[in-house]
Amino acid sequence: MQDENWALSADGLVKRFGDRRVVDGIDLQVPYGAVYGVLGPNGAGKTTTLRMLLGIIEPDEGHRRLLGRSAPRDASDRVGYLPEERGLYPGMKAREAIAFMGALRGLDWSVGRKRAAVMLEQAGLGHAVDSKIRKLSKGMAQFVQLLGSVVHQPEFLVLDEPFSGLDPVNQERLEALIRAERDRGATILFSTHVMAHAERLCDRLCIIAGGKRRFEGTVDDARALLPMKAHYVPRDPAPGIAALLPGDAQEERGGWRFTLPPAGIEGILVRLIDAGYGISGLSIERPGLHDAFVRIVGEADAEKAA
Amino acid sequence: MSRLIRQTLTIARRDFIATVMTPMFLLFLLAPLLFGSFGAVGSLGAQSVGQSAEGKERIYAIAAPADAARLRAADALIRPAVSRERGLPTLVTVAPAADPATQARTLLSNPDIDVPAVLYGPLDRPQLIHANPQSTTARYLAALAEQALRDSRANLGAGRLSRPTFARVERSSTSLGGKSAAGFFAVVSLFVVTLMLAGQAVGTMAEERSNKVIEVLAAAVPLESVFLGKLLGMFGVAVLFLAFWAAVGINIGALLPPDFAEGLSGIAPAIGIPGFVLLYILYFTMAYMLLGAVFLTVGAQAATPREIQMLSLPITIFQMAMFGFALAAIGRPGSWVALAAEIFPFSSPFAMAARAATSGEWWPHLVALAWQLLWVALTIVIGARLFRRGVLQSAGPKFRWFRRG
Repeated sequence: MQDENWALSADGLVKRFGDRRVVDGIDLQVPYGAVYGVLGPNGAGKTTTLRMLLGIIEPDEGHRRLLGRSAPRDASDRVGYLPEERGLYPGMKAREAIAFMGALRGLDWSVGRKRAAVMLEQAGLGHAVDSKIRKLSKGMAQFVQLLGSVVHQPEFLVLDEPFSGLDPVNQERLEALIRAERDRGATILFSTHVMAHAERLCDRLCIIAGGKRRFEGTVDDARALLPMKAHYVPRDPAPGIAALLPGDAQEERGGWRFTLPPAGIEGILVRLIDAGYGISGLSIERPGLHDAFVRIVGEADAEKAA
Repeated sequence: MSRLIRQTLTIARRDFIATVMTPMFLLFLLAPLLFGSFGAVGSLGAQSVGQSAEGKERIYAIAAPADAARLRAADALIRPAVSRERGLPTLVTVAPAADPATQARTLLSNPDIDVPAVLYGPLDRPQLIHANPQSTTARYLAALAEQALRDSRANLGAGRLSRPTFARVERSSTSLGGKSAAGFFAVVSLFVVTLMLAGQAVGTMAEERSNKVIEVLAAAVPLESVFLGKLLGMFGVAVLFLAFWAAVGINIGALLPPDFAEGLSGIAPAIGIPGFVLLYILYFTMAYMLLGAVFLTVGAQAATPREIQMLSLPITIFQMAMFGFALAAIGRPGSWVALAAEIFPFSSPFAMAARAATSGEWWPHLVALAWQLLWVALTIVIGARLFRRGVLQSAGPKFRWFRRG
């Protein structure tokens, strides 16, 4: 359901390309001030969803509301966008490119130029202020475009696969920039298929697969979809130990790895100690977002195959 | 609305600067100079060929001194009345030799000069020999003989009997020829300028498509603003181009002999020179915007430079069709062809510019300008929708009926 309390809400979005339903009834609610991740495998429909949310393309069915406006374009001056396919005019200077993108969103050109110089300096690209885009490396150009998407200080920032193509140092810089934007009060929506970034940054996320939303919640909610694992290393690895462990126990890293039963691990440990195996090491492992993602997407693939 | 205008102008500014601030623009700006240079080289060549023959053509009259004087007097009287294009050779009179017929044939066959015709014999029975089967110069010599004979029978000397006075008087109304010349000038010059400048709009969207900027623009700005902005940017380039050449033309005009300006004075639009200039500027704007919007729309569908190149032929044909339509309208003012050319939006600016030359009414121009402006808007909206559907693959719910149909 759509609600004025959400910075962005979508209800039953559908998009067909020919006979294929690329996006198939997606609902989405992004709270104000949140960092929201849209996760999914390649070809899941993430980019098409984002383009519909921004009003670049129109949905075949469904409604969306962005910053209180039912026509997303009406809020375009308050929105920043980094598309998946990066695009800048190669003949423009870095400062001009950033100011141009700000001007498209209503920022005065001269203000944009001044801000661009400061932002480039802060991003460690001060030397490139007056360099033409064609002279910059791919990563640098990508960062220039990113700065262009935030130069007008948007209330809502949409980043489509922002980390792709960046080296680890620039990925760190980008994470810092996203946090800074959140601290400034912006709502941020980004898509990715790299779980580590989502795990570190997202307050909430959704997982899309096969054009449908398969999960929505926090990172912890996603992790909670899978049971915790225990890794047990016996002091005396004598034969017959497997009979005392849960059925899915597998030998791994000099010990045994198994799913933690709902009743807890105490009963298992007591049996192992009584049988004389002892405990050399024990760790409880929380499943990662990666595991949850793989399972959710795997289920979606299985559903599609069926 | 102001946001829309601001966004449109942002696009226009980017396109204008991106086009003007390049070395290629200088080449484009000076392109007419290159064309002119090639033309001048060709003309000089042709002129030198012409000059080599000029002054080496004569017509001869073999006559006794008294008749020769009468023939020269008749030549002096009639020659100025004969059109300059006739290019009559100079008349030379020579005294008859023993055998005038042989003398005439010798003169006709002179290897050093061209002699198209020779007259000999008595004036009442002049003998004319000529090389060309349909020699007008021989007829001219015959007319001189007739005039000289009449003068002789009237016992007139070589002097003039009348003393004509020549005076130039301005017409109180523009001549039909002047109106027609102004109309022709309007259509041809508008066509040449739009052919040269509006065609540039074809490839402008390809730039955004190839460097992926279109996604950034489409997210921030309505596509209609993108289209209009690009059109305005290119129009700015066209205006800069024309301003440059207008300035050059005015300065060169000041150096031309007064005869040249007198020659142009024959161009007399019915609506008056100031009104004609104003309407010409407005119709140029409309022609550029209309054809530019069509080219932009068509070009935006092209994905590669090759596709754009392939589009240039149909685009030129389209322009030629509009040009031909408007030219037909000049030839038949008030006819259904003229009316159709004035109404059809893409030929309307040309035909209406021609109308400004041939008719003094103002109200049709106000209607036409509003009509053309409407079509500029319609073309841009249609172009943006086609782009949204074809390139961004976004038909939206409004077009679902169409797809199903």
